[in-house]
Amino acid sequence: MGVFPLGFSVSGSAAIVFVGIFLAFSTAYTASANGFERVSDATSAVDEESLERQNTALSIANTTYDAGNDTLSVNVTNEGTTALSVNATDLLVDNTYRDDYTVRRVAGDNSTDLWLPGERLHLEVSASSQPTRVKIVSGPGVAVTEVL
Amino acid sequence: MASVSASHLILFIASLVIAAGVAGTFTQGISRLSQGIDDQSLEVSEEVRTDIEVISDAGSPVYNNSSKTVTLLVKNTGTSTIPADSRFIEILLDGEYRANVTVTVVDGDRWRPNNVVRLEITGADLSAGDHRAKLVVNGDQEVFRFRT
Repeated sequence: MGVFPLGFSVSGSAAIVFVGIFLAFSTAYTASANGFERVSDATSAVDEESLERQNTALSIANTTYDAGNDTLSVNVTNEGTTALSVNATDLLVDNTYRDDYTVRRVAGDNSTDLWLPGERLHLEVSASSQPTRVKIVSGPGVAVTEVL
Repeated sequence: MASVSASHLILFIASLVIAAGVAGTFTQGISRLSQGIDDQSLEVSEEVRTDIEVISDAGSPVYNNSSKTVTLLVKNTGTSTIPADSRFIEILLDGEYRANVTVTVVDGDRWRPNNVVRLEITGADLSAGDHRAKLVVNGDQEVFRFRT
């Protein structure tokens, strides 16, 4: 029977502690890398959104109310450099949200969702009396108001 | 010789047990910390992605004097879906916390990006003059000023 050397205890326990630390740090690294990526993804999405907002500009070409057939028609031009979404565009007539459009078309096309730079969006809603204020809000949040 | 070897063996086992204990505690602590980082990053990314905009037309009456109701239209201009529930939307009207709020999504079933919700703050007895409403959603603050 030989002597059981004490050196084994030191190196054995050092190995266990080392493996433990290794596992712990791999968990910590994964978690912090994922977390960092999640936050930086969110930041870049917000940056992109704000760039889009900076590049968005609208102007109301004209707003007319036809008392004969109770129709309010609004023509808005995309004066910016981003393609906007027609579905994401909101119309407020006297602070009432309207999405019951009778006509909604971009440059003569009523099936498209794209509202490209320079194109004119034509909206028609029914209104029983002459509205006083019309507000158009684009997808990124840029808005224009018109007082009739 | 045998007794020395036996005591060395005992010391060896004891050192392994202690090392395993140390490594275990360490790993557990780090894994708890990783879980915390994970949760926190999720929270922070949601906060970064949240952006709202009050699109109500301040020039039109926002406050209904007969029903004592303030109606605000709020658009989600961020990049994440926000729960359309008054528990997630903090409202301060002239600095006073309001809990009796009804939230309705006006153009969809959920408050996704680009969708608009209608907030009806009931029981708001406002005098004639200037007022302000402050909305806090997921850390994003929005102030809306209006006249009654």
